[in-house]
Amino acid sequence: MRIVIAEDSAVVRAGLAEILADGGHEVVAAVGNADGLLAAVAEHRPDAAVVDVRMPPGYTNEGVRAAIAIRRDHPKTGVLVFSQYIETHYAADLLGAASGGSAAGVGYLLKDRVSDVDEFLEALSRVAAGGTALDPEVVTQLLAASRRTDTLGSLTAREREVLALMAEGRSNSAIAATLVVSERAVEKHVANIFSKLTLAPSDTDNRRVLAVLRYLES
Amino acid sequence: MHAPDDKARSRRPVLERILIRSWEYRHLRFWAGYRIVAGIIVAFCGVATLWVGAYRWAALFLVPAALLLAFGYWEMTIAYRLLYAPLPQRVRELEQSRSRVVDDSAAGLRRIERDLHDGAQAQLVAVSMKLGLATKKLGGMVDGTGQTDLDRVLELVVAAHRGTKEAITELRDLARGIHPPALDQGLGAALATLAARSDLPVELIIDLPERPSPAIETIAYFCAAELLANAAKHGGAQHVTLEAAHVPGLLRVQVTDDGIGGARVEAHGGLAGLAERVRTVDGRLRLSSPPGGPTMVTVELPSHA
Repeated sequence: MRIVIAEDSAVVRAGLAEILADGGHEVVAAVGNADGLLAAVAEHRPDAAVVDVRMPPGYTNEGVRAAIAIRRDHPKTGVLVFSQYIETHYAADLLGAASGGSAAGVGYLLKDRVSDVDEFLEALSRVAAGGTALDPEVVTQLLAASRRTDTLGSLTAREREVLALMAEGRSNSAIAATLVVSERAVEKHVANIFSKLTLAPSDTDNRRVLAVLRYLES
Repeated sequence: MHAPDDKARSRRPVLERILIRSWEYRHLRFWAGYRIVAGIIVAFCGVATLWVGAYRWAALFLVPAALLLAFGYWEMTIAYRLLYAPLPQRVRELEQSRSRVVDDSAAGLRRIERDLHDGAQAQLVAVSMKLGLATKKLGGMVDGTGQTDLDRVLELVVAAHRGTKEAITELRDLARGIHPPALDQGLGAALATLAARSDLPVELIIDLPERPSPAIETIAYFCAAELLANAAKHGGAQHVTLEAAHVPGLLRVQVTDDGIGGARVEAHGGLAGLAERVRTVDGRLRLSSPPGGPTMVTVELPSHA
């Protein structure tokens, strides 16, 4: 894949470029601020951009705003936003602004996740392919903050695990591999979850992520 | 200096200024009372002399009595004006200094967060990336799915090792910036450490028989640190004298350098920041820096905040 990095810390930028290069990806540009990122994306049309949330000049949410702009102007570029701590509402902003409300091609991860190299590269591929990757921390916070505790309480422990992985943006086969169960079993759990939460079942992974997140947030 | 209280002070008559030059002007009231009581006693003696008919001796009592009473009354009015009359003004000053303290601490916390985020935290993220990559490579070598490249792994581990050392240094500097550990041993020890770490040769003159309160020590320490850094950075100085003296009620820290002089207190500058910080505890900062030097900055703080 061809990738653009936007990260203001030089050490982190270098580390990230190393991991991506090692994973066989081509880093076409590595920039340190949001304007540079938008210019680089417009110039290179990469498959994905990895974007830090806090960048100069304001050091607030420049990365999130740039990510939303990229999703709007370049739907073919997936955006993986990462930061040193998780703000759940940034995840909501990103997903809400994703093209056509389908949550396609966005991800939001803690920077620490990058060090689990294979998982990070997998999440990046998912985002580049139009999928979703949400940090487990975001999902945990959403689950904890959700007011639907009654319904969530009716889920079994295994179903809650499946729900969390589903909300992170993983496919049935990935969930099956993580929990070491058959894909068939996962499908059954997913069907149960949807019926217990009275959500309309949906076939694509992204719609399903969005359905779950909307449910948790409402 | 732009301090409003300093301007007010400079408008006072010279005699008053001499009278209240002492930090503890609360004592004025005591001395005034003492003089008034003494005046009354002497006047009573004078009246007694008149009563017994020794008119020639009466003046010997009555003149000093009048002087004592007049002087005591004058002192008493000043004491009361300082202590009680300007209460609204004092309240205003305290309100201002309180909001400065609150802003100051909020800004301080924000700075620490930024330093952590951009420094040690970023450094550790980079380290974890390197170790993650090394782990992946070693895993591949062990189970035979990856190529054997120990040099590359070594390179990654060495880089990670270097990164942790840098993170440790950054954390240590940051921790010292929050609270210098040497300060637990007293201001004298902390200033000695500071002087030893300075880029310039520092002559240290310490006279601290008693310890001021911890908050005052901390402020004095950070003032000294900033002033030494200023001398090294801007002053073109070869030699600095750092003097700290504590007399009851007053701690004075003085930094003198042999640099080019011409330093000024500029709005939002380092010295203005120090002056603000010092004012929050009713202290004051004075700057003397004629062109050509020497530059002398004196910080005076009450013993207890």
